[in-house]
Amino acid sequence: MSGMSETTSLNRLLDRMAAYERDTVPWLGALREEARTIFAGSGLPTRRIEAWKYSDLSRALAHTPEGTSPARPAPVLPGAHLAVFKNGVLDEAQSTIAEIGAVPLRQVLADPATPFANKIGQVNPQKNHVLLNLNTALMEDGIVVHVPAHTKLTAPLYLRYEWEGEEARIPDGRHLRILILLDEGAEATLVESHTGTPGFSTIVNEVRLATGARLTHVRLDRLGTASRQSAITLGELASAAHYDGFYLSEGGRFSRHEALLELTEKDAQAQLDGIFLVADGRHCDNTTVITHAGPETASRQSFRGVLAGDSRGVYQGCIRVRPDAQMTDARQMSRTLLLSRQAEIAIKPELEILADNVKCSHGATAGELDSAALFFLRARGIPEAEARALLVEGFLSEVLEAIESESLRACVAAAVSDWLTIHSGEISHVE
Amino acid sequence: MLEIEDLHASVQGKEILKGLSLKVGAGEVHAIMGPNGAGKSTTSYALAGRDGYDVTSGQVRFKGEDLLALKPEERAAKGIFLAFQYPLEIPGVSTLNFLKTAVNAQAKLRGEPVLDAVQFLRVVREAAKLLNVSEEMLKRPLNVGFSGGEKKRNEVLQMALLKPALAILDETDSGLDIDALKLVAEGVNALRAPDRSFLVITHYQRLLDYIVPDFVHILADGRIVRSGDKSLALRLEEQGYDALIGKAA
Repeated sequence: MSGMSETTSLNRLLDRMAAYERDTVPWLGALREEARTIFAGSGLPTRRIEAWKYSDLSRALAHTPEGTSPARPAPVLPGAHLAVFKNGVLDEAQSTIAEIGAVPLRQVLADPATPFANKIGQVNPQKNHVLLNLNTALMEDGIVVHVPAHTKLTAPLYLRYEWEGEEARIPDGRHLRILILLDEGAEATLVESHTGTPGFSTIVNEVRLATGARLTHVRLDRLGTASRQSAITLGELASAAHYDGFYLSEGGRFSRHEALLELTEKDAQAQLDGIFLVADGRHCDNTTVITHAGPETASRQSFRGVLAGDSRGVYQGCIRVRPDAQMTDARQMSRTLLLSRQAEIAIKPELEILADNVKCSHGATAGELDSAALFFLRARGIPEAEARALLVEGFLSEVLEAIESESLRACVAAAVSDWLTIHSGEISHVE
Repeated sequence: MLEIEDLHASVQGKEILKGLSLKVGAGEVHAIMGPNGAGKSTTSYALAGRDGYDVTSGQVRFKGEDLLALKPEERAAKGIFLAFQYPLEIPGVSTLNFLKTAVNAQAKLRGEPVLDAVQFLRVVREAAKLLNVSEEMLKRPLNVGFSGGEKKRNEVLQMALLKPALAILDETDSGLDIDALKLVAEGVNALRAPDRSFLVITHYQRLLDYIVPDFVHILADGRIVRSGDKSLALRLEEQGYDALIGKAA
């Protein structure tokens, strides 16, 4: 039997954490110890924890998922500063990130005097976040990118995660950390592509945007049916900083991305748009917590999902407005198309508003294709299957408009259109 | 062209059409007028094949063929066109893309060659110009943010491109001011042809000043109670539905 028969147990994880803690430099040992101690007390998240109510990681890890699916192709981005992670390990030979001064995380973690010692684990800290603590205690690979003030990276920074074979499925999983520091007025574009089937992985992005810095972040999560991945993007935005995120996800056996952003100073802005396309009994969780801490900060969220078969989608969006964040403008919208009676969506919008002069709104819809629109198209001679596909495409294309870069929009549009083609049977299927 | 015989149709189990009979010859313009609840919209939806408009008995033959056995898209490909009272907004689908998809889908269903992008663009631009449909409107998502008049002009543009044998105009005048109404009527009149028939369904006589019918029928309680020429519409305007329906009963 292969390593697949061993499940990811809490004890194994704790043993590995303790070993990592012993064999490391002092600053990291202290960071790991704190994370391990809290994790030991909480264990893996179960549905009893409110934030994990709709996504049962303990259960997903208890059984080795079955089924294989061919790996999707990763997009080609000519001229990008590339970091390739094969089964969670940075492949330096294929990577070109040195040209922008990015440093492999392994090198940073082994350095007792690294200037990044007091930077890692400091962005929008979440002391009791189970998965974040797990990642901190076990992180091994990743990169650290520091963009100096007023520097604009014209080509995107491209993180290509590829998972393949037995190596992709080691029981304790692979845990990666990406630290991105944009100094005052710096600009960059971060693109992530996730393909193949990780047995279990956690990826934590820490993004710190100084005054006036701008980051465009595109995640293309196209993992396999049996994949289990939980990712977190932590962000802190200083005055007039902009974070513009676009998240595409096809889900997996367990699939979750959390965007946890804090708008700390005046005029900081975050825009999050997402598309989730879920079929084949997959699970896909989009969780966001936007904290408005500074005055006159703004956030926009627009998520659209298409769920086919017996898939399950989750959208939890929390907007927090701190007492000092007067004139906050926060909007959140999610819309889901259910293509089958077996598909399920859990939607949980949350507003916690502690300032009195704010504009906050949220809205959510979930339903089937509009029968009136369908009849209209058919009455014009468009066969039902084609009419359904056209409506689904139209539903998604509105969100794609949010991607400013034409080439990146084309990449995401190609991934969407690929999914629509693969699942055309379920889209045109009439119950 | 179209023969409707003793048509009975129900919506949500309630019988709306109760024995509608009507013959429309090639090139003729027929107006169906009726008060609210007479079954005007049910007639147009039953002919176009909308789900939920269940024909319980009767026959509809179109060019000699059993229309009721066909799906909505097949009816369209055979030459039935329903101009909607409230044209649907389709977000994310450009008007141009929609028009091309519809024209080519019908060509495919009829086994005719489809137009390539360049040929299609030329045809659309020509038709759009006549109807005062701007290039910008063609690029916008279908009917999204269009005014009432723009939506109806867009319907006539679709009619011009799809070249139906029978166009059913379901209360095309609703929501239009007089200028918009004239423009739409001009568009329709330009499409009148010896091999194209029209069924103009309306509550008010006003539309028939601009689209002049050969025959006028009064629909009441699910069947046609009176028929005549265009003067019937004028009498209806003068005397009201109650008087004329009452006389027929």
